[in-house]
Amino acid sequence: MTSGVAAVWSHRNTLRLLVRRDLAVKYQQSVLGYLWSLIEPLGMGVIYFFVFGVLYRSATDRHLGDAAESYPLFLITGIFAWMWTSSAIGEATAALTGQARLITTMNLPREVFPIGRVAGRFAEYLAGLPILVGVAIVYASLDKIEFGVSLLALPLAILIQATLLIGIALLLSSLNVLMRDIERLMRLVTRVLFYATPIIYPLTLVRDSSLPDWVKIVYELNPLVGIFQLHHAVWYPDEFPDARLLGVAVGGSLLVLLAGWWVFRRLEPAVLKEL
Amino acid sequence: MGGAMIEAENLGIRFVRNRRRNLRLREMFIHRGNRQPAAGVFWPLRGVSFSVAPGDTVGIIGRNGTGKSTLLRLIAGVLIPDEGRIRVGGAVAPLLELSAGFSNDLTGRENVHLVGSLHGLSASFLRRHFDEIIEFSGEQIAKAIDTPVRHYSSGMKVRLGFSVIAQLQHPVLLMDEVTAVGDADFRKKCYDTIDRLIAEGRTVMLVSHNENDLTRFCSRGLYFDGGRLRVDGTIREALDAYHDVVRP
Repeated sequence: MTSGVAAVWSHRNTLRLLVRRDLAVKYQQSVLGYLWSLIEPLGMGVIYFFVFGVLYRSATDRHLGDAAESYPLFLITGIFAWMWTSSAIGEATAALTGQARLITTMNLPREVFPIGRVAGRFAEYLAGLPILVGVAIVYASLDKIEFGVSLLALPLAILIQATLLIGIALLLSSLNVLMRDIERLMRLVTRVLFYATPIIYPLTLVRDSSLPDWVKIVYELNPLVGIFQLHHAVWYPDEFPDARLLGVAVGGSLLVLLAGWWVFRRLEPAVLKEL
Repeated sequence: MGGAMIEAENLGIRFVRNRRRNLRLREMFIHRGNRQPAAGVFWPLRGVSFSVAPGDTVGIIGRNGTGKSTLLRLIAGVLIPDEGRIRVGGAVAPLLELSAGFSNDLTGRENVHLVGSLHGLSASFLRRHFDEIIEFSGEQIAKAIDTPVRHYSSGMKVRLGFSVIAQLQHPVLLMDEVTAVGDADFRKKCYDTIDRLIAEGRTVMLVSHNENDLTRFCSRGLYFDGGRLRVDGTIREALDAYHDVVRP
């Protein structure tokens, strides 16, 4: 594993290049360009606000706690972070199959392709951050939220999320070469994950629900739960995950990264033959 | 053998035909019981050992499907051997496909920088040599340098690709039928470039079916048949062995 990390590190220039190329290609042919990376999550935010912030308002408010007065901020915080997750997972599956010609003709560490997908989508997330901060400042000026040390939860959330996503990307990209079904399967899985993670609703809604205990335990084994709690904790300190949740998020993410790296290494010879 | 540039030791790689190509979940569940592990397994290369000294020019000869391109891919590191070892003592420029790495949506200019950097050329080097690269690739490309490569003819892409490759400083060059493309004019440029690279003392491995190319550039020949190295000698000996099989 250490040699693989060193190889990727020595090719960080290549990584930057591939990410830049992907972004250039992606935005070159659309008129609105990178604005799309903002319009899409904002549009989703409007939809969910309509359903849960307007139609089911009273039910939502009861569980939001601190966030009751600023649900739109709660929503887009989760959705921006989710867009990074879902698009990274979606694109990572095709990271190797889509670059077959490049991979079979140039000797680059193959890890850079899935990692590059995660990094590219992270760049889009960063591009959306000013919007998020802008909305937060509006709510802060209305005294609905307060800025404090909890802002430090953001870098922590990003770090854990990047670890998890790189692990998933390595795992899926290599598996997808050998089993093209992965791509379709993941479309369903990401949809399930979206609702199985406290993105548009607060975690307390699940904890206070009448679900059987084992469902709650399984629910909280998802490392994304702790990660999204961290994202929400940036503005709402009472959402900060407890030690167990944080442990699951950090441990789970590291485990996925190690598993992803190991699988990638194991499958690499077969993947190269298959491409 | 400390001085060898490329050293293969009992090299072998196994491919699986039919089964497991695009293994799908459905097949995994349905055909689980009746696996035949030996079915469709073949070795494009096996038990191959040789050693290439720095500055050697080696022609790789054999009929279609005897593992020549597979060998180049193994040396380039884009395939991982199942048996044996391959050791390369310097940076390798894998010229397996001349327009490799081109992104159709980017302009010729952007692609020169992209492909050059992927091959390990620095940004400042590319800027300094940009005009040289474009001049080498010809007038037609100079005019179209700021249009997306999508609109280039395949010949134009190959020419631009070769122009970038001509700048590479790598001590080992792997070429797979690169001289078979382009018009007569461009081929002359290719030949001159390869002559220059060889004169600079690069180590060259050339796969070709063109006897003139092979005798012109190579001093050594490796003749492959059925995935095994049959002759390791001068280019003449290798070609003779090849002719014995093709025209008995």
